[in-house]
Amino acid sequence: MSVITRILDKNVVKQLPKRAAAYYSNKPNIEEDIGEFRVLYLKTSKAQAFTKKKYQKPEVLPPRSNEMPVDQNWGNVWPGPRTFHPATVPLPLRQGYVSKGSPPDKYANAELMKIPNFLHLTPPVIERQCAALKKFCTPWPKALSNDELCEKHFPFEVISSNYCHSSPSIRDPMARIVTIKFKLNDLKFDEKSRDKYLRLVGDRYNSETGYVTIVTDRCPTQKQNYDYAMYLVTALYHESWNVEAWEELKTEADMEKYIWENNESKKSVEKLFGKNSEDIAESKQYANAVINFMNEGESDYTLANYGDSVRILLGLPAKTNVL
Amino acid sequence: MNILKTTASRFLRLPNITSNFKYATAVETASKPQEVNEPIDKLYKTIELELRGNDSAVLNSFAKFATTAGKHLDVQSKSWNMRKPVHEKFTVLKSVHIYKKHRVQYEFRTYFTFVQYKHLTGSTADTLLEYVERNIPEGVALKATKVELQLLPDHLEPPKAE
Repeated sequence: MSVITRILDKNVVKQLPKRAAAYYSNKPNIEEDIGEFRVLYLKTSKAQAFTKKKYQKPEVLPPRSNEMPVDQNWGNVWPGPRTFHPATVPLPLRQGYVSKGSPPDKYANAELMKIPNFLHLTPPVIERQCAALKKFCTPWPKALSNDELCEKHFPFEVISSNYCHSSPSIRDPMARIVTIKFKLNDLKFDEKSRDKYLRLVGDRYNSETGYVTIVTDRCPTQKQNYDYAMYLVTALYHESWNVEAWEELKTEADMEKYIWENNESKKSVEKLFGKNSEDIAESKQYANAVINFMNEGESDYTLANYGDSVRILLGLPAKTNVL
Repeated sequence: MNILKTTASRFLRLPNITSNFKYATAVETASKPQEVNEPIDKLYKTIELELRGNDSAVLNSFAKFATTAGKHLDVQSKSWNMRKPVHEKFTVLKSVHIYKKHRVQYEFRTYFTFVQYKHLTGSTADTLLEYVERNIPEGVALKATKVELQLLPDHLEPPKAE
């Protein structure tokens, strides 16, 4: 008897309040609560878990390009440089490569966004902007219509470079280089000063084109290099006209080229004929033959030339080929 | 700021703008002689732009823009890209550690385009160059070579015979 009561006590009686509480709390009695205040049920059952709200994506408006009129002013739509925006550009663009399929369309296309576009510089926009800039420009003078006239009136050419690129600094060291070009014949020389000028200038003179080119880059700024180049031009010119005291001491033996007028050959011809060389008829071609022989060196051609010229000078018959 | 300063100084230098400005402010005779200290417009025989970039399509578009802008401002302009692109390549190890036989190669490609303007005055050149330079796209570098025309200096006369 006591065993039965003990078991009954343990399994039924003592668990009665617990079970009753569980029974009453887990089941929400909805029919009773309608019309009254809502009750908060903290212990959720499986039925309640399913009624969770699903995330709704926000509604996206249709692209702006759908409402764009055909005759709109594109310059107002895209006024400045901007990354490509597919909804604003009313063009059916496609860019990229997919191994199977067509090139991807413009929406979410990274390739189209990466490349710099010129949508802000369409031809009508360029025309409009240039028309606004026109008032800051001056016309080219009509008197300088071609290159020859430019060269004739403005013989000096100053060449310099400016650089514009992305860099930590806006200055480029190559921008300091200044080049000045002019033709040698535009400067006034006499024979001696011209010879001296050519020796001073050396490699900077190009005998084929006749241009003297002076390049300066030793100063840090362009203006300084230009001033230095102008100084060089002036100094070279005036130095070539300057005659030093020791230049007077140059003798015939120091001459680099053979000059017929100063040499024995002229004196002997004059002695032979008894007149000045200008009065002798054939002296000029004889002089040329001697000059060529002396300057170019001994060769069959110069030697033969000399021989023929002597025959002509002395009135001898021409040389015949003896077999 | 420097760009704004130079443009402001340029506007004041030009005859058209300054004469209007002066007439608006001071009640003086309309015909006023030009100031002595106003610098004379320079003359440029040619201005050649060398453009370097990583994409030939972008360079071509930019050259088209530059030549069109020149034509609108009454300047003879033309463009060409006869210089061959430069491919700078370098080879690096593919793996962080060992595997010397497996490498990866990268290259930079530089494309060249040239634009030439003929017969410009100083103010036209400054205006056109500034307009073109302000619209350079990303990844393009520009080198502007100016050939200026000048008179022979007066002091290059032979010394007078005493």
